[in-house]
Amino acid sequence: MFVVVLVHLLVAALLVVARRQLERWAFVVGALGPLATLIFVVANWGLHHGEAVTEKWDWVPAQDLEVSFRVDGYALIFLLVVGGAGLAIFLYAQRYFTPARGPTMFAATMTLFAGGMVGLVASDHLLSLFVFWELTTISSYLLIGYDDRTAQARSAALHAALVTGAGGLAMLGGFVLLAEASGSYLISEIAANPAENSFAVGLAWVLILIGAVTKSAQFPFHAWLPGAMAAPTPASAFLHSATMVKAGIFLVGRMGTAAVATVDWWQPAVVGIGLVTMVVGGWRALRQYDLKLLLAFGTVSQLGFMFLLIGSGIPELVFSGLAALLAHALFKATLFMVVGAIDHEAGTRDLRRLSGLNRSMPVLFAVAIAVSLSMAAIPLTFGFDAKEAAFHGLVHEGVLWVAAVAGASVLTVAYTARFVFGAFGPHVKGQEPAQGRRLRLSNLLLAAPATLAVISVVVGFFPALAFPVVDAAAEAVTGVAEAGELLLWPGLGPPLAWSLASLTVGSLLAWRSDLVARAGDAVGVVAARLPSGEGTFRRFVPGLINFADRSSGLIQNGSLPTYVAIILLVAIVMPTVAVLSNGATLVAPPSGTLLEWVLGLLIVAFAVSLAFVRRRFAVVILLGGVGYAIAGLYAVFGAPDLTLTQLLIETLAVALFALVLRHLPATFARTATARTPRLVVALLVGAFVFAGGLVANAARTPSRVAETFLAQSIPEAGGSNVVNVILVDFRGFDTLGEITVLVAATLGAAGLIRPVIRNRRRS
Amino acid sequence: MRRSRSSPILSAGVVVVSGPLLMFSAYLLFAGHNQPGGGFSGGLVAGVAVLLVWAAGGIDSVRRILPVRSNVLLGAGLSLAALTGFAAFLPGLAFLESGYIKLHPPLVGEIKIVSALFFDIGVYLVVVGMAVGLVKALGEEESAEAPEVGA
Repeated sequence: MFVVVLVHLLVAALLVVARRQLERWAFVVGALGPLATLIFVVANWGLHHGEAVTEKWDWVPAQDLEVSFRVDGYALIFLLVVGGAGLAIFLYAQRYFTPARGPTMFAATMTLFAGGMVGLVASDHLLSLFVFWELTTISSYLLIGYDDRTAQARSAALHAALVTGAGGLAMLGGFVLLAEASGSYLISEIAANPAENSFAVGLAWVLILIGAVTKSAQFPFHAWLPGAMAAPTPASAFLHSATMVKAGIFLVGRMGTAAVATVDWWQPAVVGIGLVTMVVGGWRALRQYDLKLLLAFGTVSQLGFMFLLIGSGIPELVFSGLAALLAHALFKATLFMVVGAIDHEAGTRDLRRLSGLNRSMPVLFAVAIAVSLSMAAIPLTFGFDAKEAAFHGLVHEGVLWVAAVAGASVLTVAYTARFVFGAFGPHVKGQEPAQGRRLRLSNLLLAAPATLAVISVVVGFFPALAFPVVDAAAEAVTGVAEAGELLLWPGLGPPLAWSLASLTVGSLLAWRSDLVARAGDAVGVVAARLPSGEGTFRRFVPGLINFADRSSGLIQNGSLPTYVAIILLVAIVMPTVAVLSNGATLVAPPSGTLLEWVLGLLIVAFAVSLAFVRRRFAVVILLGGVGYAIAGLYAVFGAPDLTLTQLLIETLAVALFALVLRHLPATFARTATARTPRLVVALLVGAFVFAGGLVANAARTPSRVAETFLAQSIPEAGGSNVVNVILVDFRGFDTLGEITVLVAATLGAAGLIRPVIRNRRRS
Repeated sequence: MRRSRSSPILSAGVVVVSGPLLMFSAYLLFAGHNQPGGGFSGGLVAGVAVLLVWAAGGIDSVRRILPVRSNVLLGAGLSLAALTGFAAFLPGLAFLESGYIKLHPPLVGEIKIVSALFFDIGVYLVVVGMAVGLVKALGEEESAEAPEVGA
């Protein structure tokens, strides 16, 4: 498994490094990734009864951090989709892009995405699953925004990334809560021993569901998916129909059984969300004129269907959902590629302007019909086999369930008809028909969708071919083998009746599409008043930026005295509260020698005079005097290292200050602001430090750390200056951090000073 | 204190003083493990020397004497310190844990080399880099006619 992920990452890296050399064959090279996935799937064909291939790499064993892969039947079916659809779409993309546009980076990102997807479905550790999850979010962002010169693509990419990214963060929170409650980050262990229900565990399941809902474009977060159609068609086919949007479904399926066993709201929530998504997606698809958007809303609807089946945790429904997953990957990826080919050749995707493509592109027409029948679940197709299995399971759950899903399926039939007649039927009167440019498809552009269509048809006629894969996948998550059946002819009975009913009503809807349009306008009037997903998002982002502007304007007002005052006051308040709440005694220091008194009074004298001096240079000298006197105190107390460092620091600081003063006026300007607040802050700081010294004096106990350091200095570190040994050895990590800060501060200071001085010199 | 007006006495003084100053700086660095001193204080002394050179000969003298960009010093110092930490992995020690070897070259007596010395040299380079960077940034003239202010 590591090898498969690694192949993706290496191929992506290779495409980036050698982007000039590989420009002509970028997608063929990229296809090595999906090919590796497919080889893995074939090599492990027939995993069943909970068998799994596991691989583990310890990263930080002390923290239980590891990259742990566990491929069971359930992961295998997703790998099959990622590898199979991936291979077809990569080969299609090779012809779709003209080399002049330099699509190598696009190919690299697609390969990176495929690697992320493989890692995601194979991960057994929650945290590595999250990392791969985010990898798919980021690559999706890059692919949607590939055409970065159009504002629409950039905004759509941002929309998708923010929604799925926010959901991913929520999911991460849920993962941590769940893992802490379960005592393990391994999904296989959590599924075997689900944590008992508690507030934290309930919250964890809510957060995980949010992650799944955003990723799989479920209501009310579905709006990003149609926007994502700004991506070039190969990315839409691969990410936004076949694979990435199924990550959320993967998650609810993987965790669903454990969730259903823990919280009783999970099943109604998942089924409700899926059902609403089915209806909203299907209805919106009926109102689209852009073929690609029509398919996108259709995907939203289908995702809702799979979400409710696979997330329900009911074995028979999970089984049928996984069959639907395979069927959907076959027909939807194909239809996207068909739309891409139409767009590529006819120059438009507007179904009002397209007409007669059945004559000019007969093979494409045949391919589209073959898979559209499957999408509408017409008998003798794979889509029908899967939907029959679903109806069979739903009938067991109750009339309401099956009626709701059959009702939503009506819309599927209707928008499929809209797609087929829109693309290939006569053009709408009053619209200028598209001028076919060449209308002669290259074979490569046709080969990939045709292959998928053939597979779809063959599996439709021989559903037994798909049964072992689907059954093993369902058994891996539900523990129940042979929960459902995939049959070419299911026999007379309630499921078939529901299928035929939804087909009939759907056909009627398609036939009287003018009624749909009128009803749609009526709904549209109402819907316009309701908050829509896109509109909410468009208002949300500027609102957030506005809020950030105002709040940072309040805190970061640009006044240095204010910053200093805030920092000092916080530094006073926090320890004071801590000391007062724990009770403290004040112990007066020992009376002190004459030398200590002299040095102490010297410090006071320098400090007091500082407040009355107006010349900047005098201020610097007096500050240096304070520092030297303190160094004297260190020497008296017997700390040569501190004395030395303090003296040197003061010398360098005074000299550097002098350098700064060259660029400033000689005296301080009289400030307009009130002095009283400054005086108050200054006195508070003085009082705090004084009292703090007395408190610390009382709290002083010999520390064991010091003794250890003294004893260990020579044998452990071979040095007799314990101060230095602490700096470079015992606390070497701290020192490394400090010099890193020093480097950063120097770079920052020099970077800020230079342009100012250069500007002044120029003016 | 611009270069054109710098006093000859100061220039001569700097020439005399800076040599011993740098030797003292090196002494502090190497003696630090057993005597007061170390990379930090050693670096500060070298920084003072750089400032004296600036005071005597201006920014151009600093550039002439130290033809290295301050960022190179900073980066080299930080890398050396970090690499010393990682080098401890080779003999199976923990990050930054130090070891030492004793050498007995003829006539000199025993010399003990502690791995922490390389860490300290890294600290030294960072501190010197800081001083050079700030002197170069602040020591530039704003304009030829700017009135001399303060120092």
